[in-house]
Amino acid sequence: MNNKTLCKALPAIALAGMGCAALAQRTPPANNDQVVIPEVDRRDIEKPKFPSNDFEVGLFTGTYATQNFGSSWVYGARIGYHITEDFFVEGVYGQTKVSDELFRRILPGGIFATTSEKLAYYNFSAGYNLFPGEIFIGGRRARPSQFYIVGGVGSTKFADQRKPTFNFGFGYRVYLADWIALQLDLRDHVFSLDLLGRRESTQNVELTGGLTVYF
Amino acid sequence: MQISDPYIEMRTGPGRGYPIFFVAPRNDWIEIELRHTDWFRVRTEDDKVGWVSRQQLETTLTAAGGTKTFRDVLLDDYLTRKVQLGAAWGHFKAEPFLKLWTSYRFSDTLSIEGTIGQVQGVFSGTDLWHVDVLIEPWSDKRISPFFGVGLGKFKNFPNLSLIGVQTTDAKLGVARVGVRYYLSERFVMSADYALYTALLSDIKSTEYRAWTAGLSFFF
Repeated sequence: MNNKTLCKALPAIALAGMGCAALAQRTPPANNDQVVIPEVDRRDIEKPKFPSNDFEVGLFTGTYATQNFGSSWVYGARIGYHITEDFFVEGVYGQTKVSDELFRRILPGGIFATTSEKLAYYNFSAGYNLFPGEIFIGGRRARPSQFYIVGGVGSTKFADQRKPTFNFGFGYRVYLADWIALQLDLRDHVFSLDLLGRRESTQNVELTGGLTVYF
Repeated sequence: MQISDPYIEMRTGPGRGYPIFFVAPRNDWIEIELRHTDWFRVRTEDDKVGWVSRQQLETTLTAAGGTKTFRDVLLDDYLTRKVQLGAAWGHFKAEPFLKLWTSYRFSDTLSIEGTIGQVQGVFSGTDLWHVDVLIEPWSDKRISPFFGVGLGKFKNFPNLSLIGVQTTDAKLGVARVGVRYYLSERFVMSADYALYTALLSDIKSTEYRAWTAGLSFFF
């Protein structure tokens, strides 16, 4: 090989070598194929609006024990929203007629202007489904249920006094179907009252049962 | 629709504790009938009905399946939530104050808020409402301050046992500063300080200060 041909061949070899290196970088060896082929499914779907039933409305009735005045029949309505599986919020309005008959037996004239006074309350509460579960009706049917704790703030209007009221309690809810539930509630309403000579804090326990519809 | 998640677990009820009775694989066709909180009632082709969590349906429900991470979906979800409802408890001129408010978010930083409140004092009570414009400059932060101004009305009525007092009806202006703490995707804790100016007449006005703290959530 003479000098001239070497001069010509050298760049060619160098180029070929570089090309080979570049080729090696670009194509992986055939036996090292992609092990996992991602199953990415790109679709163009319009996400529809699904019907949901996070809201509830309900009616309830039961008994309301006004401190010092005995218990009376209470009824009311609730509206609620279930934020997640665990938490819900609700607004409740209820009313009852409180009688001062016990006082009238020994105190002619009684406490109130008339024999009975309306007690009305509203509150906003937050609840937590503490023990979700299932109940079994017979051998073939199971319905979801929840034992919940609940508490909140509100107002009570009684004998021309409006009092800030705290409430707390617990309840039990059984879904008869996906859209209707049976609900039992035990609540303590705490507010101060100035009726019997002195302003004092009163505990008023309420036990109710009701039906709630989800929409 | 067709399942694009690897599989979905169907439960007997809308909750994490209910037993799984059926697993449907990818590419099966399902029909979503109802949503209750974060659970979807799903019917398969062979008429099995069960409840599936939102997490398991996340790619199935995303428009371009698989291109988004779960976090992106959560963020999208969060940004589409515009309406907020909350309640707060505090002090209005040293008297107990309960308020309920709802807000609508126009953008990340601007929202409009309506409030109704009730002050229940020993000698008198006050009902009030106001509509505010709120600015929340750092709403992407977990703890984010906000500022607001608003207008509304104010009605003070004494307890009936007091004699010789009248109800007061006045317009009010309010300036607020507060802070929000985003607990999770849906829940927010907030505290605020408000300066109420009741315009009793053309020349007379009174100022009240109020502190409240409360919880709210996005629908």
